[in-house]
Amino acid sequence: MKAEITVSSKPFIHQHAAHCESGVTSALFRDKGVDVSEAMVFGIGSGIFFGHFPFVKWVGLPITTFRSRPRTLFPKVAKRLGGKFFTKKYRNRKKGMAALRSALQESHIVGLTTNIYWLSYFPERFRFQFNGHNIIVLREIEDGFRISDPVLDHPVDCPAEDLERARFAKGPLEPKGFMYYAKTVSDNPDFRRACIEGMKDSCNMMLRIPFPFVGIRGMRYLAKSIVKSPDKLGVKEACRRLANVVRMQEEVGTGGAGFRFMYAAFLQEAAEIFASDELARLSQEMTAIGDIWREFAVVSARIVKNRGQSEDNFAKAGGLMLICAGREEQLFKNLDKVARKLKA
Amino acid sequence: MKVKEVPQDITYYEGEKRACYALNDEGKYVVVTSTGWNDEAVVNSLAVEELAAQLEETRQAALAGFKSPLCYHMENRQMNPSILGKTAGIAVFRVKRHFRPEIFAKLGDSVLARYAQALALSLEELKTVPKNTVEKGRKL
Repeated sequence: MKAEITVSSKPFIHQHAAHCESGVTSALFRDKGVDVSEAMVFGIGSGIFFGHFPFVKWVGLPITTFRSRPRTLFPKVAKRLGGKFFTKKYRNRKKGMAALRSALQESHIVGLTTNIYWLSYFPERFRFQFNGHNIIVLREIEDGFRISDPVLDHPVDCPAEDLERARFAKGPLEPKGFMYYAKTVSDNPDFRRACIEGMKDSCNMMLRIPFPFVGIRGMRYLAKSIVKSPDKLGVKEACRRLANVVRMQEEVGTGGAGFRFMYAAFLQEAAEIFASDELARLSQEMTAIGDIWREFAVVSARIVKNRGQSEDNFAKAGGLMLICAGREEQLFKNLDKVARKLKA
Repeated sequence: MKVKEVPQDITYYEGEKRACYALNDEGKYVVVTSTGWNDEAVVNSLAVEELAAQLEETRQAALAGFKSPLCYHMENRQMNPSILGKTAGIAVFRVKRHFRPEIFAKLGDSVLARYAQALALSLEELKTVPKNTVEKGRKL
């Protein structure tokens, strides 16, 4: 933890986060004096999700996601914790950059949505065309900006030109220079009510969306298609698809096991707030489910490594995912009951 | 996941560390940094190698004169015709047409400049393809 100085010469403590959007949101709240952890933000903003979209291709592979859509977490948290935020998109590059500079001069720290490929401070491996990465700009420096990227464990410098490219990149989910900062944040946010709202929302998203590709249904759908995939697509293509699922689960800044551990951390914090043993038990159950997801990743990695030649096969990987689906279904049903009983 | 189970296998993130959530000895969740995980590296290298192979194939094709350098530079930036077209402000069908070397060779400087701007390259770089396989560490 290193203290950084913002424009208002207030110290800013950079905290290493697992996920960019929840990390940025919690940093914006902390800067305004509301102490809220990343996991808490993740839970309140209903970040946990599952979706597998076989018909939406991205680099030729179906999209699998373990979290809610980018740019839904932040507004939910802002609403539930009661903060007034400035949010704006820009069409004109120059105006967008000028607005950023003037917001910094008004001594705000500013959240930006960017394309991760053009952020040159990242190692090569992190960089791919993805338009939903969130960062915080602390202040302007010579030829660039001082940036607190929650995914990295230290603040970095970024040249102005690269930042401009990243903010105005084109493609799916264009950031369009999206910029946001806190105007006022309520001094004493109602965490209890916000937690209950977040939990209920997550339960709805996981259990009640009548669509076969999202929530628990999506998990079952994907598990079954993994079992069938080597016969249907051939081993090579099946390996590619399986590897992509594991990448989405572990690689894309999830804090491990596709955000399941982060959600368990949220449930643990919530259990303390409500002094509820039931929530504490649910947190333990979530951890156990996360461990199965990790096992799924290990088994899948072995399948990919041996091209399906070992005793670990696709049926085993799919079976593990079915176990996860079953246990998560039970967990969210229980959570729904518990959340309804809790008093705000 | 317990704190001591957080993988510290390899310095796979080029010195950077990743945050993981894990339980400490008292059963409380804490954020732990991880330097990399072998199993993750396996699945990831599959995707990375695939991209690299595709890029190398395009580079050969461009050198042999089957494809224009534009196609190579687009793949080098991990773009597709639709992203490139939007960034440069050129219709997708024209972008695809410009992958043919004989048509690319006739392009005027104004069109080339738009591509160069979109791909963050100089005009000279845009018109040529590296002679040797490019390793990691592309600069902006």
